[in-house]
Amino acid sequence: MMSEKMNSVWSKLDRKATAIAEFTMRQYRTRISTWVVLGVGLGSMLLVALFYADAMNTQIEAIDNDQDSYDWDGDGYPTGQEVIHGTDPYNSNSYPIGIEPDPREKWINEDDFNWDNASFAQISKVGYDDDGDCRREGQLVSQSQKDNNGDSIPCNIVLIYSNYSQVLIISSDGNVDEDPDDEKYAKEALHRAFILGVGKMGIVYLLGIFLPLFLATGLIRDEMTNGTMHFMIAKPIARGEILVYRMLGYLGIVWPFLIGLCLLMSLLTGFMGPSESFFRLSDLAIWFTICIAAMLVTLVYGAIFSTFGILWKQGVVLAIILAAWELGMAFVSVLAGGDSAIQKFSVIGWGLMIVDAGAAMTWPDMAMFIEMGEWVGKQSCDRSTLGDECGPLIGNEPLRFFSSGHGLGVTNWVAALIASLVLIFQAAAAWFIGQSLFKGKEMDD
Amino acid sequence: MMPDLSQVGEAETKEWVPDNTAPVVMFDNVSKQYGRINALTSISFALSGGVTGVLGMNGAGKSTLFKLMMGKIKPSAGEVKLFGQNPWKNTAPYARVGFVPEHEKMHDWMTALDFITTFARLHGLTRDEAEKEATRVLNFVGLGDVMLKQIGRFSKGMRQRVKIAHALVNDPELIILDEPLQGCDPLARTSIMNVIRELGRMGRTVLVSSHILHEIERITEQIVILHNGRLLALGNSHAIREMLDQHPHKISITCEDPKALAKDVIDIEEVRGLSIPYANNLIIETQHFGVVHAKLPGIIVDNSHKVSQIDSPDDDLQSILRYLTGGS
Amino acid sequence: MSEGDIAASTPVTGQSRMDSAWGSGGGDEVVSANVAQATVESGQIFEQIYQPWRGILNPRWMRNWAILRHHLLGVVKKGHRPWGIFIRLALLIILLASCSDVLLILLAGVIGENELYSMFGVNRDNLYGHVLGFFPRNVLYYPVIAALLVGGMISDDRSHGTSALYFSRPISRLDYASMKFLSIAIILFIFINGTLALYYFTEILVMGRGWSWIIDTFPSFLTAFFGGILIAFTYTAIGLALSSVSKGRFFPGIGLIAVIMGTRTLAAIVNGLFDKTILYVISPFDCVAHVTQALMGIEMTYDHPWTWSLASIIAINGLALYVLATRISSLEVTRE
Repeated sequence: MMSEKMNSVWSKLDRKATAIAEFTMRQYRTRISTWVVLGVGLGSMLLVALFYADAMNTQIEAIDNDQDSYDWDGDGYPTGQEVIHGTDPYNSNSYPIGIEPDPREKWINEDDFNWDNASFAQISKVGYDDDGDCRREGQLVSQSQKDNNGDSIPCNIVLIYSNYSQVLIISSDGNVDEDPDDEKYAKEALHRAFILGVGKMGIVYLLGIFLPLFLATGLIRDEMTNGTMHFMIAKPIARGEILVYRMLGYLGIVWPFLIGLCLLMSLLTGFMGPSESFFRLSDLAIWFTICIAAMLVTLVYGAIFSTFGILWKQGVVLAIILAAWELGMAFVSVLAGGDSAIQKFSVIGWGLMIVDAGAAMTWPDMAMFIEMGEWVGKQSCDRSTLGDECGPLIGNEPLRFFSSGHGLGVTNWVAALIASLVLIFQAAAAWFIGQSLFKGKEMDD
Repeated sequence: MMPDLSQVGEAETKEWVPDNTAPVVMFDNVSKQYGRINALTSISFALSGGVTGVLGMNGAGKSTLFKLMMGKIKPSAGEVKLFGQNPWKNTAPYARVGFVPEHEKMHDWMTALDFITTFARLHGLTRDEAEKEATRVLNFVGLGDVMLKQIGRFSKGMRQRVKIAHALVNDPELIILDEPLQGCDPLARTSIMNVIRELGRMGRTVLVSSHILHEIERITEQIVILHNGRLLALGNSHAIREMLDQHPHKISITCEDPKALAKDVIDIEEVRGLSIPYANNLIIETQHFGVVHAKLPGIIVDNSHKVSQIDSPDDDLQSILRYLTGGS
Repeated sequence: MSEGDIAASTPVTGQSRMDSAWGSGGGDEVVSANVAQATVESGQIFEQIYQPWRGILNPRWMRNWAILRHHLLGVVKKGHRPWGIFIRLALLIILLASCSDVLLILLAGVIGENELYSMFGVNRDNLYGHVLGFFPRNVLYYPVIAALLVGGMISDDRSHGTSALYFSRPISRLDYASMKFLSIAIILFIFINGTLALYYFTEILVMGRGWSWIIDTFPSFLTAFFGGILIAFTYTAIGLALSSVSKGRFFPGIGLIAVIMGTRTLAAIVNGLFDKTILYVISPFDCVAHVTQALMGIEMTYDHPWTWSLASIIAINGLALYVLATRISSLEVTRE
């Protein structure tokens, strides 16, 4: 009974699969070019990570967005302190008596965001006037400005989020949360932008396309031109199977590499990223989706490129043309997000969609976070008397550039699932075409 | 290029039950064209058991014949069957086939044992079984002591033997060897020929191709002769020789005075022609080799000709082939 | 000689052994042996006369010209180095595509449309853009043809064993490598600088430009021309270095694309994230672009000093040529 089971067709199938996959992996391992390609891939990602480490360890100069740290009248008291005590900040004879003047730094980052409890229900009311320059009577904020947004609650912020157009509208009362901690915001934004930029453009796109180009294009073709394919096809095994098992061997090299790389990068960003605790545990989710996306993308490209290799001796020409198309689609996807339809006619578009969905799951406040940096910039520009020292907070622009919605109009989980299924379908289709071409190929040389 | 969906690959899902009544190899009116070149034209034969030599000059179609058998190419017309199955459509019969390709390229980075073990596993053996079998066949071809060395370091004859060992690992009933002796030194040739003869004695069906005839002669008497894609002769080499008796046969005599000898020999009525290609040599052409051969000694002795050598250039396979393939 | 003469000190010669074997010493001293007469017909020895070739070896440049011609003419004619039909088709398409601005200038001249002319006419930016515009010229055209050309340039010779055909002739490896280099560089040169010159001269003809215009714009043209030479040289050097280290056909082409696009993408990621352009020094394309921008005096798109890019481009080319030279000089002439 036992031996019968051991020798069933399926167990034999399994043995063949492991034999070819194992053989293919050993073949890769003996080639120097494999190690060069993987080494360069790892090295280039670490090179970019170097810049990230540098940014995380650089002190970002805090900006006084509401400019209340200046002592306009030269009486030693910063504007904010004078406002709170009701003296005239523009009159050097008017200053709070009996109180020591505050150091300037105290009034630079004095009113951080209090939007943590914002939800993406239609309307949420958030914001707290930490520095008290809205709540207190003073020259800067008139009675009407205390309820600019007209929700009859003074000194708060109304967030209106439209699920339909996915636009966040921020309507604030005067001087609420107007001067957040720039460094905190910048580091968080740069951290997220780095993960998205390196994840999407570096790992999913760059490695996702070049690893298969180098490693999978010759999966079948190299064996055919070398003349070593004769050994394999003279065995009781269908050619379609050979293709699958060779693919398995290729994935056996590429997937562990990608998993290791993502793990390494997640550790790097987890320890170095801005965090209250020792390690940013929640970011593991985004690295997980990046890893999944990269694995699926290498699977699809591997199937496509090895099919090109079967189709034609010069299959690399087709592969390079496809790579150029995919590069264009990657830029479209990053710039336009899920809103463009054309990226759905590519592999990379779906791959990046998985990352986008993952980002939305990991950082549900992403839209608001980007809008926050923009909003503060706008506020400070309205108020600015310093000319060019205004604009979105540092890190806001990269984050805006590298993040985008998945644009499928469904929840994030479903979007990631759909994109994964599409990629698997693409891989299966490429494999099917590849194996039918391979079966019809007369191996004559 | 339209994908060919006709290949079913039953090997994956269905245990293949061999049909023991079918001949091991059968070619039914098979033709193969490459563009406008006819590589094979209307080949029909069936083989079961024994060692068979496939003979022909370069470009005669030997390799095409083997490629058809191994399902590498598709016949343009006719049917190829291995154990009653179409090898282009179904790879299952390869479980009982061992193939030694002509190609010199191998996976040089593997050791001989690794190489054979890996490919043995494609027959559905477990790793341990495969390793055991690989060791067995490597010992069989006499490479047991170097089986842990890389193939890239092997000499040509050793590489050839590795290929043969690889073909034997599944204990096949049909073994196909494409030019196994090509480029080997005499020592390697002898050992490879011994291996092939041994296989024949074990009752396997063995197909060996070559264009060097006396080597095939040392292995087998059963031959297939191809020329320009056509089947010229098939069967026992003696039987073919018998048949050749119907064709003009040559006897070469080395003597001191060929002209005088020619004068005497012309009296034999069975002699069809005489020629003196160079001094000291006379060539007699006849259709009745036996008769002439019987009468010759008498004539020589009676007329006291000084003859140093009599031989028949036809009396070996090489000349049969040369005749069949239209040479000399 | 008698038996007693054979002592331990007697040297072992054939003669004395023969004596012992025949038991001589007691009879006649004339030693003889019967040798079977060979009855076989004696063979024939051909007199082999080595006739040295007494012709005059053509000068070195002429031999090199033959190699160069063999590679270049293969693009358009049969009977020279075979380039694949698809490569030739791609070359044609890219040649036409890189003449797009020439066509637009012609169109502007023919229909007299000023707006069209102001967009596509010759000016500094357009001269720069013709050579170093990133999209589509340096993402779709020039690296792709460079990749297609270097694909099997040296590796094909290695795998087909045709490098042995070269090296069994009076051709040094340096000549071989430099002619390979030149043939690719010349094709790239025709594509980049040839179309640039065509663009410039079409403007002169169509718009009827006079000397003053030519004197005004010629320095810009020359600088762009220099940029074109630099980019052709750089792509060729990197591509051939990759071709010399690999055996396959796929690797050099993909490698070249990966080097050009990969470094640029990495630098773009860093620039986008951290607003630092310094990583562009690892991108060959961007280094050439930066140097040319500086020379032409157009607005620079990089923040770091252009001399860094100049140093980097020299280093990249030096490294590539070093790899090529060492690989060629150690190339084993075997069929691999």
